[in-house]
Amino acid sequence: MTTAALGQWVRRFADLVAQHRDELTDLDSAIGDADHGSNMDRGMQAAVAALDENPPATSKALLSKVGMTLVSKVGGASGPLFGTLFLRVGGSLGEVAASTPQELAAALRAGLGGVVDRGKAGPGDKTMYDALAPAVDALDAALSDGADLSVALQNASQAAAAGRDATTPMQARKGRASYLGERSVGHQDPGATTVALLLEAAAGSSLGASGSGRRDT
Amino acid sequence: MGLVVVSHSRPLARSAIALAEEMLHGSSVRIELAAGLDDTTLGTDAVAIMEAIRRAEGPDGVVVLMDLGSAVLSAELALDLLEDPDVRDRVTLSAAPLVEGLVVAAVAAAGGAGRAEVASEARDALLGKSAQLASPDDDGLSGSAGPGGEEVGVLTVRNPHGLHARPAARLVREVRALDASVLLRNLTTDGPSVPGDSLSRVATLAAAQGHEVEVRASGRQAREAVDRLLDLAKRRFGEPAEQVPGPAAPTPPTIPRGP
Repeated sequence: MTTAALGQWVRRFADLVAQHRDELTDLDSAIGDADHGSNMDRGMQAAVAALDENPPATSKALLSKVGMTLVSKVGGASGPLFGTLFLRVGGSLGEVAASTPQELAAALRAGLGGVVDRGKAGPGDKTMYDALAPAVDALDAALSDGADLSVALQNASQAAAAGRDATTPMQARKGRASYLGERSVGHQDPGATTVALLLEAAAGSSLGASGSGRRDT
Repeated sequence: MGLVVVSHSRPLARSAIALAEEMLHGSSVRIELAAGLDDTTLGTDAVAIMEAIRRAEGPDGVVVLMDLGSAVLSAELALDLLEDPDVRDRVTLSAAPLVEGLVVAAVAAAGGAGRAEVASEARDALLGKSAQLASPDDDGLSGSAGPGGEEVGVLTVRNPHGLHARPAARLVREVRALDASVLLRNLTTDGPSVPGDSLSRVATLAAAQGHEVEVRASGRQAREAVDRLLDLAKRRFGEPAEQVPGPAAPTPPTIPRGP
């Protein structure tokens, strides 16, 4: 898994966010402040522009640039949350140009830890956690079973989608949606929806293309 | 001692700072803002917060006041982004409500309070409003009736604008410097007793000019505490008799502008 593939993942994610921008904002208008789609789109467009302007050479540099851009450009709570996710994933991968599938899985788990540190959310709170945690678990499980990275990322993407769907009957316990109490039940969580797009982008990118091998370990 | 205001809205932050600075009468408190993505776009930016903390930062540290939601998350992230752990250790994120907290924090900081005290005062900033709006049956703040051996006196507030933030800050400083526990009670309004070492609590006295305030002190310097506070009241807590600048918390509505 190369830094270039990470860049492709980020761009694909930005494309998916742009395509689903209105849908994300609609979801957020039901239980939030109706800006998630436009905020994330603004942030990811800026992140891609930053990568274009000065393409980073290492995985940490690339994902840190994405994270810091989101932190500054998104504006809502998704900024520090997705920003922390990218910063932690990048920090875990380090100043390298390629990583093993296991290193990527460990990095995503570190990213999940960052999201928990920042948002203090746990299972069933109807947040991005409910899509991200099952995806990270699925990625680990598939790699442990000997699957190659492309298959493992497909599993992770499916787990994220299932986690996203599972947020609909939940009652929100974090963020602005929690002000709604029981009225948040019946609406799919926008943050979990965006996480499903992030994993869909990973599964559809070239992240898994070179990934069956265990680099040099 | 520096303050940082984090808000989704830049105009809101600017106005909150203007409100707080009106209480300072020219004393210098460094207040930096990190608010909005630009003048009109709502949002918070952890990098901007980090930079504001760096601008406000000094040996006494920084207290950060925030509005809600992402303001809190971004402020926490800003601490992570500060590379220097020594700087990070000198920053307190305050759980205070933004406007009330900022005003109290600014007054406390201008009065020379350190970071812990500024943060503590800010955290209690809602008490004044709570006391004002509490039903007469609520007696949440009352402590009163200390053990025997306490000293009691009554002071009269002579300041034209009452015991507003600045004289109140002077009173609190005096109490804190003494080895005594001091309870204050507004006899004129028959209000509850409040600890004299907390600016936020003293503000709940709502003591206007002419009000009588009971001072009950216990501890080694109890007598001295009563004498000093009564003397301080006679000297209008250090404010000049004429031309009292600035707004008085307890006595709107005719508020002269500060210099």
